[in-house]
Amino acid sequence: MSKRLRVALPLAGAGLLAVAALADPLPPDATYRPLPTLPLDAVKALDEAQKPQVMQRQQALFERRYDLSNRPIANFMMSGGRKPVQGGVRVKLPAGVTWDSLSAMGPNEIRERGLLPAGFMPLPHVKQATGGQVFPNQEIDEVGRQELRNLRRFDVDFDLSDRFTPEFPPPIFLTTHPELGDVSHGQLLTIKNYYQLMVGLLTPVQMEGMRLLLTPFPQEEFNQTEDRKSADQSLGVTCLDCHANFHTNAAFHLTPDIRPQAARFRLDTVSLRGMFNQQIHGSKRSLRSVEDFTQFEQRTAYFNGDHVSAQRKGVNLPDRFDQVPMMAQMQNIIDFPPAPKLDPMGRLDPSKATQQELAGEQVFLGKGQCGQCHAPQTSFLDNNMHDLKLERFYNMGQTVNGQVALPDGAIKTLTLRGIKDSPPYLHDGRLLTLADTVEFFNLVLSLKLTQEEKDSLVAYMLTL
Amino acid sequence: MIRFVAFASLAIALLVPPAFGQTTDPASPAPGNPGGMLPGTKQSASSVPAPRQTNPPDQAFIHSATVGGLAEVELGKLAAQKATGRAVKEFAQQMSRDHSAANDRLSTIVKAVGIAPPERLDEEHKAMQVRLQQSDGAQFDHSYIQGQIIEHQKTAQLLEYEIGSGENAELKDFASDLLPTVLGHLRMAQAIAAEMAQQAQAEVPPTNREKRK
Ligand code: HEC
Ligand code: HEC
Repeated sequence: MSKRLRVALPLAGAGLLAVAALADPLPPDATYRPLPTLPLDAVKALDEAQKPQVMQRQQALFERRYDLSNRPIANFMMSGGRKPVQGGVRVKLPAGVTWDSLSAMGPNEIRERGLLPAGFMPLPHVKQATGGQVFPNQEIDEVGRQELRNLRRFDVDFDLSDRFTPEFPPPIFLTTHPELGDVSHGQLLTIKNYYQLMVGLLTPVQMEGMRLLLTPFPQEEFNQTEDRKSADQSLGVTCLDCHANFHTNAAFHLTPDIRPQAARFRLDTVSLRGMFNQQIHGSKRSLRSVEDFTQFEQRTAYFNGDHVSAQRKGVNLPDRFDQVPMMAQMQNIIDFPPAPKLDPMGRLDPSKATQQELAGEQVFLGKGQCGQCHAPQTSFLDNNMHDLKLERFYNMGQTVNGQVALPDGAIKTLTLRGIKDSPPYLHDGRLLTLADTVEFFNLVLSLKLTQEEKDSLVAYMLTL
Repeated sequence: MIRFVAFASLAIALLVPPAFGQTTDPASPAPGNPGGMLPGTKQSASSVPAPRQTNPPDQAFIHSATVGGLAEVELGKLAAQKATGRAVKEFAQQMSRDHSAANDRLSTIVKAVGIAPPERLDEEHKAMQVRLQQSDGAQFDHSYIQGQIIEHQKTAQLLEYEIGSGENAELKDFASDLLPTVLGHLRMAQAIAAEMAQQAQAEVPPTNREKRK
């Protein structure tokens, strides 16, 4: 055979194989949501009986991964002044290594010896096979009190200790009224109170946007059909049930963007603060406007990206020309919390910052390389997605509480403005403190930071 | 080649079934969504489906995993003889070895649940076998590896499907144990394909390369 022929032939073979591979596909429920097969009361009884085991498994996972003790940073509060910020590295190390010895190893060695701390791995949903939205108890209680609307599920509870969730209710800062500071009056905005709290502060268009963001609409687990996880026929959920006061209450669900179920990663609710400055939205979807995201959230966050299921349960599709822009305009006036130590370029003002904070900024912009993606001048964003390639450090495909650990791929750079207010960290909330994020990036970026440098980075991030 | 040896030892380690853990072991099969349970499903005291039952995803899984496993072993044996490249030969040997072990474990589980698994290759895999039998040399190596990439991609999705939607704990456990190995195989096959593509490119005389542009 001539050399040229030898090269050309294999390509013909590949063509044949590609066609043949179309046979024997997976069943439809690998992509679409299946219809329930049992009556709701039977499902509820089974779910309730399983619940203790489900919660125990997840609790055991959290305890294996993290130090969950109460160790707040002294004399330091979140922006509303009501909740302390938890400190220290909380991800537990595997036996026989220290953070320094670990960061001295390469990714291959860490992978082959199975030494990546479990807390750095993707975090599964409390019940991966079911997934769906799960709200923290404080949100459930307050919405129950104000609206008599039930956000509790009969199959699962919220799995993360309140210590590691944002202040509740969080303060609200408006770009249109910087002089006022927090305008929340310490209350959780709901459909019952928003009008009296906001009239005179907002324009009519913003008010209408606010009303829509606080109006409950049917959702996958909270609706009127038999395929739900709320005991009662539910009115549904509102945008601000997760984005509490336009920030986050750490409610979570599964990414709508991936199938099958076991491969879907968890999503920790992001804050809507400072969204006016972001050019891409969603950790993976990279939607280009707040309007797009607002429009699609009712098919994605609400219905797992399954428009077929959405249709059956009564999806609300806000009108693109009228309602969506008003909802977007309301979201676009939500500001970051004040950062008195930052100058207009996003740099520390040396007359206000401590030595340690200034040292942290040096590391951030220099040895730590953080500033290359989290650019101070653009709200600590680069409006890009990056693949941190964590899978260099572990064997892919391990199953953890029903979730398969797979590479995250490219994820949007998250802002660090107001970062002390929004634990847990990373898109799935797998890290509990800022010190954890420093150890994470120290390893992922092979930085070999000293303890002093790490501490200064944490001190610096608390000022942002 | 050192790379592949490391994968091989990993693969064998993962094929050994783990002791059936306590319910809080994160690697043990997680509870499913009872919303999708079939009416009449027997339950053990803890409201989990009683062992030895299967739901439709389990049944689809048994079918596809058995056929895929058989094909891996048969095609692996064929390629272990016919392949010309050393990396391909070694890969093929490992496929028939690893997948034989996995098939044994699967068939034990399947016997216990009382389902008659398919015993022969289906049309799709038979066609692949015939095509491979009819080709040789570099073309054989190329077709085998390209086929293996697709097969392992499909198997990975199949295993993930079973982990999320299956009901039978032993089958789910099997799928969980096998998945890292299958993803390892996939990476090996992709690495071999990339190497072959580079070699093929290098082997084309420069004049031909010019002409092809
Ligand atoms: C489960 C609770 C939940 C509810 C309810 C919810 N969201 Fe979200 N929202 C999220 C999560 C989680 C993300 C991050 C998504 C991602 O990373 O892909 C997000 C992201 C967003 C973003 C993009 C933010 C960014 O940083 O780019 C916007 C805008 C948004 N939501 C608006 C809405 C609107 C409007 C509604 C109501 C229609 C809504 N959300 C309802 C959880 C929720
Ligand atoms: C290559 C770009 C890049 C560099 C360099 C980088 N980051 Fe990030 N950062 C990201 C991305 C992408 C995410 C989101 C990752 C995810 O959610 O999985 C992120 C997330 C974070 C978060 C969590 C934000 C949140 O809201 O949950 C913190 C904190 C953080 N980075 C701090 C740092 C620090 C400190 C450094 C330097 C030591 C650093 N980053 C360097 C890209 C980068």
